Amino acid sequence: MNVRSQISMVFHLDKCIGCHTCSIACKNIWTDRRGAEYMWWNNVETKPGCGYPTQWENQEKYRGGWERADGKLRLRSTGKGKVIFNIFHHPHMPSMDDYYEPWTYDYQHLFNAPEGPDQPTARPISMVTGEPIDIKAGPNWDDDLGGSPIYAENDPNLEGLTEEQKQQLSAIERLVFFYFPRICNHCLNPACVASCPSGALYKRGEDGIVLVDQNRCRAWRSCIAACPYKKVFFNWFAGKSEKCILCFPRIETGQAPACFHSCVGRIRYLGVLLYDAERIEEVAKSPDEELVEAQRSMILDPWDPEVIRAAREAGIPDAMVEAAQRSPVYKFVKQWKLALPPHIEYRTLPMLFYVPPMSPVMASREQNEAVEHVSDDLFHDIDAARVPMRFLANLFGAGHEAKVRYALRKQKAVRWYRRALTVGDVEMETAERMLREADCSPEEAEQIYRLTSLCTFAERFVIPPEHREQAIEMLEDPGEHRTTAGFGFLTGPGRAM
Amino acid sequence: MKRLTNRLSFLSLCGAVWLVVGAAAAQDPVEFFRQNCTSCHTIGGGRLTGPDLKNVTQQKDRAWLENFIQNPRAVIDSGDPYALKLFEEARRVLMPTLPGMNPELAKKLIDLIEAESKLEESQFKGLQITDRPFTPREIEIGREIFLGSRKLANGGPACFSCHTMKGLGGLGGGRLGPDLTRVYERLKGRQGLGAWLMAPATQTMRPLFGKHPLQPDEILPLIAFLEDAAHKGGEDTSVAILNFFFLGLGGAILALVCFDAAWRWRLRGVRQPLTEGEIPRGA
Repeated sequence: MNVRSQISMVFHLDKCIGCHTCSIACKNIWTDRRGAEYMWWNNVETKPGCGYPTQWENQEKYRGGWERADGKLRLRSTGKGKVIFNIFHHPHMPSMDDYYEPWTYDYQHLFNAPEGPDQPTARPISMVTGEPIDIKAGPNWDDDLGGSPIYAENDPNLEGLTEEQKQQLSAIERLVFFYFPRICNHCLNPACVASCPSGALYKRGEDGIVLVDQNRCRAWRSCIAACPYKKVFFNWFAGKSEKCILCFPRIETGQAPACFHSCVGRIRYLGVLLYDAERIEEVAKSPDEELVEAQRSMILDPWDPEVIRAAREAGIPDAMVEAAQRSPVYKFVKQWKLALPPHIEYRTLPMLFYVPPMSPVMASREQNEAVEHVSDDLFHDIDAARVPMRFLANLFGAGHEAKVRYALRKQKAVRWYRRALTVGDVEMETAERMLREADCSPEEAEQIYRLTSLCTFAERFVIPPEHREQAIEMLEDPGEHRTTAGFGFLTGPGRAM
Repeated sequence: MKRLTNRLSFLSLCGAVWLVVGAAAAQDPVEFFRQNCTSCHTIGGGRLTGPDLKNVTQQKDRAWLENFIQNPRAVIDSGDPYALKLFEEARRVLMPTLPGMNPELAKKLIDLIEAESKLEESQFKGLQITDRPFTPREIEIGREIFLGSRKLANGGPACFSCHTMKGLGGLGGGRLGPDLTRVYERLKGRQGLGAWLMAPATQTMRPLFGKHPLQPDEILPLIAFLEDAAHKGGEDTSVAILNFFFLGLGGAILALVCFDAAWRWRLRGVRQPLTEGEIPRGA
């Protein structure tokens, strides 16, 4: 057993209202710079939709992540042989058009325009060329099903749905969408790290945050093609790759990352997970249908004396183990099995988990009659939900519905149980039967309810003491580090080419 | 340490010896004359491009000759009547100013010419080339030498790599040197051609053939071939250049097609194909 600690995340999609506050918080802190205009380390997508960059989930085109071949794991985008033949041009690099051309507006024109018969307007100006542009795409172009005949209908997760289901998704009075906020998953088996020819990307030992060393990056951009979530971006001005850093300067000072801190719907949870690093390769090679369970089995019980002993041996501070014991992520992922990894079939073992969203049941409308729901069981009938189970399974279950159904059933049962307690219009007997069917005890239901609805700041974010002083000791003298570290760059990272 | 110093001094000694020998070789007037003068002059072999140098010291004083050898152009430009006469006789082919020439060498060269003039038969009499008509066999061998399919004995490069000739090769030859179709006429027949081929004197050819001279039994077929070509007449046209251009263009297109096939699975843009057929704004 090789115990390691990972700061891990849960996004509760049932609570997300799609306000994009997280994206703006992140943008203001980290990517409001030249060359980073188009980057959204945090973005919120509407599902069904194509997301950002367009159709990033379509790995037939983007070739991100890992594939299993002859019992081995292989990067889809590059490899020792491929890198030589593609040394001058990476064939699977998304272009700016697949993201969008960042723009601002000519606001000065509103003030300086000569007097005329019409109101002056502020024309959009490209932030890359400085020329006026015709805006064709944006980071959130398909928000709230905008342009759905193009974007929602081309969502790669619709694969495997029947024609009828697809039509129902976009039919009037039946259409449905939910939000899907995304940041870097800080994977256990990161494809970006594996692909970098310069060794510029690394996973921090103490908390598993994946970072790009700005001084080592040589602008190969392999990471951009290799990351299946397209969460590494190339700064065209600096000539370096950049990505979500999980606000490590905030975490090191005990604060939640900006997107977590600012979340209006309080959908985000952050905490430590202990995992067995010896099993990464074995787990990443599991067949699709076993991936979710295999990843869960890697996550270790922080109360198990054996695990605690092994953690001490591996140099993990006791405070980290103690934080792991209080981790809300451990509860959602391992104890309650409510949270699921996104697209684990890319085999990068993402450490950001999603509680799948619930949706209203189908409704139908006959002629001029009022809208009728197809099921009387408004809260219970998961398979009649407007978002097809198959769609959620493609997103969160590697195409297999069992784990998603389990999570949704449990959520529904908890709701039913709480309704019986507080409103009383449903029978407690029925609620308890549903809890049993959903593999959930009343105590667990109460805990889920508390952490979902009444959670405090301290319950949502269990940030471990990072012990940076110890981490730094491995590399240099902390006393010396103290005199050379601080805010900003001592020397700006120069363009590498 | 001492051993190292010894070794170093030995090495530097070797270097010094080599330098002296090398400099002496470069200054050797016989070798210099052979390499630089014989393509235009003979001693007792008759006129080539330049005059026969036999007894030249009796026609003009040494000071004038030394001066002329070192800088022919300056003397001609000064309006010297004798120099102008020579220039006209050489049909206005200017004698080049030779690299490595200095007053000392000029003196030595005139001494050499004087000494050689006294001999019954000078070693610089020039190649005596038969007047008989060449056989088709000789012309064919010359053609092979010109094209490089028959290797030169001393390892020199084939003429075709730098020169063209009318009707030879689909793409013509190299474009570094002039077209050789009518060189036989330009160099005044067999004698001039032979002298040139013995020791080509231009800046580009001398370094190539100085160390890898042509053999007499290679020169003869070459003359035969060049004579034959001149009799056939004509000049190389620009068709070969055009062919070469189209070959390059076709090759580039073929290469691009191959690249396109090899990388056919590359990412060609995702958003744009999705939005194609979208109703344009304002329509």
